Amino acid sequence: MNTVIREDVVIKVEKILQDFIDESGATYALITDMGGNPLFTAGEEDFDVDTLAALSAANYATTKEIANLIKEDNFSLLFHRGNNENVHFAKITQDILMIVLFKPFLSLGLLRLKINSLQQKIISIIGD
Amino acid sequence: MAIVNLKDKTIQIKIVYYGPGRSGKTTNLEFIHNKLQQNRNQQISKLVSIDTKGDRTLFFDFFPVSLGKINGFDLKLKLYTTPGQVKYEATRRLVLKGVDGLVFVADSLASRQEANLESFENLKGNLLYHKQSLSDVKLIFQWNKRDIDENMIPLSPVEDMQKLLNSELNVQSFSASAVSGMNVLKTVNYISKETVRSVIEKTILNKHKINN
Repeated sequence: MNTVIREDVVIKVEKILQDFIDESGATYALITDMGGNPLFTAGEEDFDVDTLAALSAANYATTKEIANLIKEDNFSLLFHRGNNENVHFAKITQDILMIVLFKPFLSLGLLRLKINSLQQKIISIIGD
Repeated sequence: MAIVNLKDKTIQIKIVYYGPGRSGKTTNLEFIHNKLQQNRNQQISKLVSIDTKGDRTLFFDFFPVSLGKINGFDLKLKLYTTPGQVKYEATRRLVLKGVDGLVFVADSLASRQEANLESFENLKGNLLYHKQSLSDVKLIFQWNKRDIDENMIPLSPVEDMQKLLNSELNVQSFSASAVSGMNVLKTVNYISKETVRSVIEKTILNKHKINN
């Protein structure tokens, strides 16, 4: 099955992501499908978005397989801490994943709360 | 699963190189990447390789490439390889998620024909895991390592390989050498064109809009 994303859907979701960045202070937000194709983005980047999407989807899928292996449904937190940038992964639906880059001085807890509240908004636009 | 973005006017397509261990999947991608770097003025994304210390693919090799415009849409091709070694079954399966086009890189060494068949059966099983079958994706075969001197190492005749793997499907195939580059670009050009054609027919030309 192929996916065609309408223009109005892209505009609405990217507006939500941009508002999230403005409110939270996050650096960059990317929504990708589980096959590693970027779908929606907001924020400034100086890296290859296609590669970030491919590696993130692979990272998420691998972690899920590890969870299955040890009879867990999934891990609730997937997060990497860096010196200058952190990255947080969150499943939005079965088929899509949200990746957020943010500076280490931002609160992870607060950011996660905001990401959770985004989930329903995004699902209401793209469907689940 | 190709992604067509009607706002940015982009089409993203995923092509995966599949085949048994040491058949030359990574070498194919490295050759393509090097050629693109040499021939094009625009910047080419880095070839990402997740491999072991022994240079065997652990997860995948990947790089995206822009193919220009078609029907006003920017075409973006994502090229992946899978790990060929039997033990990396879990990661191999993950790479197939959302695949649109497949190049099965078969090893021409006579001693590797059973491995070719095993890998091809494994491909079918892994597609099934993603609720896909060979008829859902574009597939071509590449008979790799045809440059090897048969007096040194026995090769399987192309006809035998066709019979073993491609007699029912009867899809396009190329004799190739990933090391020397023989028919490597021809292979990627062919699978790209066919996959793009198929995706465009199924999406834009049919105006088949799915909103998720």
